[in-house]
Amino acid sequence: MKYPHKKQSNYSKRSLRVISGIFALLFAIVALAFTNHKDSIPTGDYQFTYPANFGNRINIPADNPTTQQGVYLGRLLFYETRLSANNKLSCGSCHQQAKAFTDGLALSKGVDDSLSTRNSMSLANLLWARKFFWDGRATSLENQATFPLTNPHEMGQTIQASVNKLSQSNMYPGLFKVVYGDSSITGLRIVKAIAQFERTLISANSRYDQYLKNSYTPTPDELKGMELFNRGPDPEKNIRGANCAHCHGGPKTYMELFHNNGLDSLPADQGIAAITGLAGDKGRFKVPTLRNIALTAPYMHDGRFKTLDEVIDHYSEHIKQSASLSSFLQHESNEPGGTSLKLLPKEKKQLLAFLNMLTDSAFINNPRFSDPKLVSSLHQNKTPTQ
Amino acid sequence: MKKLYFILALSLSCFMISPSANAQTTDKTAVVKVTGEVANPLSITEADLQQYKQTIVIRKDRDGKDHTYSGVILSDILTKAGATMGNDLKGENLTKYLLVEASDGYQVVFALPELDKAYTDRAIILADTIDGKPLAPADGPFRVIVQDEKRPARCIKQVTTLKIVFAK
Repeated sequence: MKYPHKKQSNYSKRSLRVISGIFALLFAIVALAFTNHKDSIPTGDYQFTYPANFGNRINIPADNPTTQQGVYLGRLLFYETRLSANNKLSCGSCHQQAKAFTDGLALSKGVDDSLSTRNSMSLANLLWARKFFWDGRATSLENQATFPLTNPHEMGQTIQASVNKLSQSNMYPGLFKVVYGDSSITGLRIVKAIAQFERTLISANSRYDQYLKNSYTPTPDELKGMELFNRGPDPEKNIRGANCAHCHGGPKTYMELFHNNGLDSLPADQGIAAITGLAGDKGRFKVPTLRNIALTAPYMHDGRFKTLDEVIDHYSEHIKQSASLSSFLQHESNEPGGTSLKLLPKEKKQLLAFLNMLTDSAFINNPRFSDPKLVSSLHQNKTPTQ
Repeated sequence: MKKLYFILALSLSCFMISPSANAQTTDKTAVVKVTGEVANPLSITEADLQQYKQTIVIRKDRDGKDHTYSGVILSDILTKAGATMGNDLKGENLTKYLLVEASDGYQVVFALPELDKAYTDRAIILADTIDGKPLAPADGPFRVIVQDEKRPARCIKQVTTLKIVFAK
C-alpha cells in the first residue's frame, strides 16, 4: 500500500519541479524582454517553408544569406519611417499587409506630395523573383530597395541620411551588431536586411493552394473559371478559354514575364523600351503575380482599372492593336477572326470566382509580416532616439 | 514682324520635332548576345547573321500551317563563339546546356548534344525570316525554330540571349 503513495509523492515533487521550472523560464523570458531586446532576437539560419509545387528556383544572393536576426531587423526597417525624409513614410506605407502589400491607390504620394509614376506592386513570393519593378530593371531585392528609399518623389532621403538617423538611434547599432557582427550601419546592410524580410513574405495558403493540395473543393463557378483561366480559346474546335495561364500560370500564378498587354496603341509610358531603346519593348511591363489579386486594386502599371471586372473587360473586349502588342494577344479570341477574347458575361463571372480563390487571408493576417510598431515603441520608450 | 514670324515658326518646328525625338528613344537595333561558357562572347545583329551559312526549316506554327523559316544553325553560332561543340562535346562538356532568353523574359533550355551535328541531324536554327519576309515585330527579329518538334514551345520568339551554362 505504501508503494503507490510513495509513487504519488514522487509525482508531486516532479510536477512541482516542472511547474517551478516553467515559472523560472517564463520569468526569464519576461525579464529578457524587458531588459535587453538583443537577447530576445531569434538567431540562426532562416528556414523557408513553401509547397513543393512552388519549385526550388529561388533567388537568394550568395552575399546575403537569410538569417532569423536579419529578417527581424529587416521587418523593423521595412516599417521604419525614419528612412524617409519627413519621418512619415516607410516601405509599409505603399506596401500595406492588409492589401497584400499594396496601397489601394493608382499612384502613391511621396515625401514631396508628388505622385509616383507607377502603381505600387504587391509583395508576395519574391523569393522566386529575379527581376523587380514594372520594367524589371533591378536584378535583386537589395538593388530594388535603394530606389524608393532615395527617390525624391518617394521616401526621398539619401542613404547617408538614413545611415546617420539609424546610427544616432539607441536601438539600431545593437541590432546591426547582432545581424552583421559589428554595429556599423551602412546603406548596403540596410537594404540587405529589408530584402531578407521581403523574401519571407510567402503566400501559399489561398483556396487555390488548398485545392492543389486536395483540401478544398471549388464551387462549380470557381472550377469553370479555373478551366477558362488555364485554357486558350480555339473557336474552330469549339474550345472556349481566357488563356490567362499563358502568363499567370503555375501554382505561384507568376512566371516572371514582361508583355505589352494592349492597354494603348501609343503608350504614354514606354515601359521597358525606355531602358532598352527597342521598339519591340514599347509598352512592355512586368506581368505581376495574381496572388491576392482581389486585394490589390487598382490594376495595371498606372492603376487605370479600378476593379477586376474592368481588367477582365479589357482582355475580353478592349485589346489595343500595335506593332509591339505581344504575339499571344494578337487574334486570341473565342470568336473566329476576333481580336480580343470575347468572353460571355457568365464566363467573366466564373473567371472572377477563380481570381477570388487566389486570396490568401493567412498571408495578410500573418503576425510575422505585420508592423512591429508595438515592439518598436516598447524599445523606443526605453531608449528614446529622436 | 518678320522676326516674330521667325520665332513663331521656330517654336512650332520645335513642337513638331519633339515627337520624332521621342521616337528616337526606341530605334536601337536588336542583337542576340552569346555569353556564358564561351571563349569569344558575341553580339549578333541581323546583318551579322547574313554572314553565316543560311539554312531553311519548314515547320508548323500555332496556326497549324507549314511555314518556311530561314536562319543559321545554332551550333554554327555557338562554334563561332568558341563553345565546346563538335569534337569537344564529350566528358564534362556533356553537362552543359544552352539557355535561350527572350525579351519577354521567357526562357528555354537545350542540352548541347541536341544542337550538335555529331549527335543529331535535326536542325535547330536562329531564324530571321518567315516565308521570305522578316519576322513580325512581336516574333522577331530573331526566333529559334526547332525542326520536327511536336510542340512549338521551344520555338522561342524575340530571342535576346544565348547563354552556355554548366549544370551544377
